[in-house]
Amino acid sequence: MHLFPVVEFGGIGFDISSILAIVVSCIVVMVLARVAVSNLSVHNPSKVQNFMEWVIDFVHSTIASTMPLQKAKKFVILATTLIVFIFVSNLLGLPLGFVTEVDHDHHGPVTFMGQELLSAEEVDEAHANNEHLAFAWFKSPTADIAATAGLALVVFFLIHFLGITQNTKHYFKHYLEPFPVMLPLNLLKTITKPTTLALRLYANIFAGEVLIATILMLGWIGIPLLAVWQGFSIFVGAIQAFLFTILTFVYISESIVHEDH
Amino acid sequence: MHFVPSTTIIMIVAFILLYVFLNKYAFGPLFGIMEKRRELIQEQITTAEQSRTEAEQFLAEQKAALDQARKDAYEIIEQSKTTSTKQANEIVNTAKAEATRLKEDAVKDIESEKNKAIATLRGEVGELSVKIASKIIEKQVDSKSQEQLVNQYLKEVGGRP
Repeated sequence: MHLFPVVEFGGIGFDISSILAIVVSCIVVMVLARVAVSNLSVHNPSKVQNFMEWVIDFVHSTIASTMPLQKAKKFVILATTLIVFIFVSNLLGLPLGFVTEVDHDHHGPVTFMGQELLSAEEVDEAHANNEHLAFAWFKSPTADIAATAGLALVVFFLIHFLGITQNTKHYFKHYLEPFPVMLPLNLLKTITKPTTLALRLYANIFAGEVLIATILMLGWIGIPLLAVWQGFSIFVGAIQAFLFTILTFVYISESIVHEDH
Repeated sequence: MHFVPSTTIIMIVAFILLYVFLNKYAFGPLFGIMEKRRELIQEQITTAEQSRTEAEQFLAEQKAALDQARKDAYEIIEQSKTTSTKQANEIVNTAKAEATRLKEDAVKDIESEKNKAIATLRGEVGELSVKIASKIIEKQVDSKSQEQLVNQYLKEVGGRP
């Protein structure tokens, strides 16, 4: 598979492709949102405004299905940001790929902006094993486990912060329910929830991109297949964005809403 | 699968920045506008409901007024009909009475004239008879036949009405 360019600054590794993807995703979302709301009107809404209102209403009803209506209102913007950002991120890797290959007769370290991506030994070893060396410079940010882990950490923080501040008593009591023996399981659950969020999103999008890369190796025969898979990836991207968002709010709702049993 | 921890941090920061940006410049204003539109629509519905009620009320009032006017007009017509009939009857009665009075007056007049004429005639006849009598007396004084004669004349004259 493609390698990802990781450069080191001050002993910390930075994955340039992921950072680029995150920045591009953010900019795309910002620009789209900004353009969509540039011409707001109370009396004569444009088509774009109607669409945005539909998105907001959709998100609102989605969240409202997981928690009481008056609590859902505060989270609509967060949920919309999440769903739009993840959806755009998921789609970003589909149309564009930017790959640089390392020639077979290249020897010595591979560098980028004065930074070493691969050491001379690694290149030689790869050549010796007849491996294909190529760097992918662009991808979906959500096809990177580290990026989805970031999103999941935000969710993790939100779940517990909101639980502690808004539902203090029941939040802590919740760990001992239904029986105190369940404490280890409940603790494990706090870890598994965000982990599954991150892994699910990453795995779906990454798998989609791997398959695209694989189909591309087929050459021109793969074109119809690629078209079908790209279409399906859009669907998967939308589903995963929706899933991530609704699960986030299911988890938040679990921690902030106390229901009498 | 490789994990670069810096990406996680960058993602968190990027997401928070994105959220703040969207909250402030995109979805926040959109939310405000949506709220305003909801209020506007609510207000319009209320206003429409109000004007509908008002219109219904007006319609009912108009209907009542129309009915009243119709009733009034009918009453006025009825009244004028009665009045005119009464007046006509009055006029006819007055005319009849007048005619009767006139006729009676005429009859009375005729009667009195007739009586006057009779009286006058009687006087004249008496005079005449006296004259005739004197003339006859001049010729032959026979009181018995004279009286008989006078009565005979008188009868002849008076019996003729």
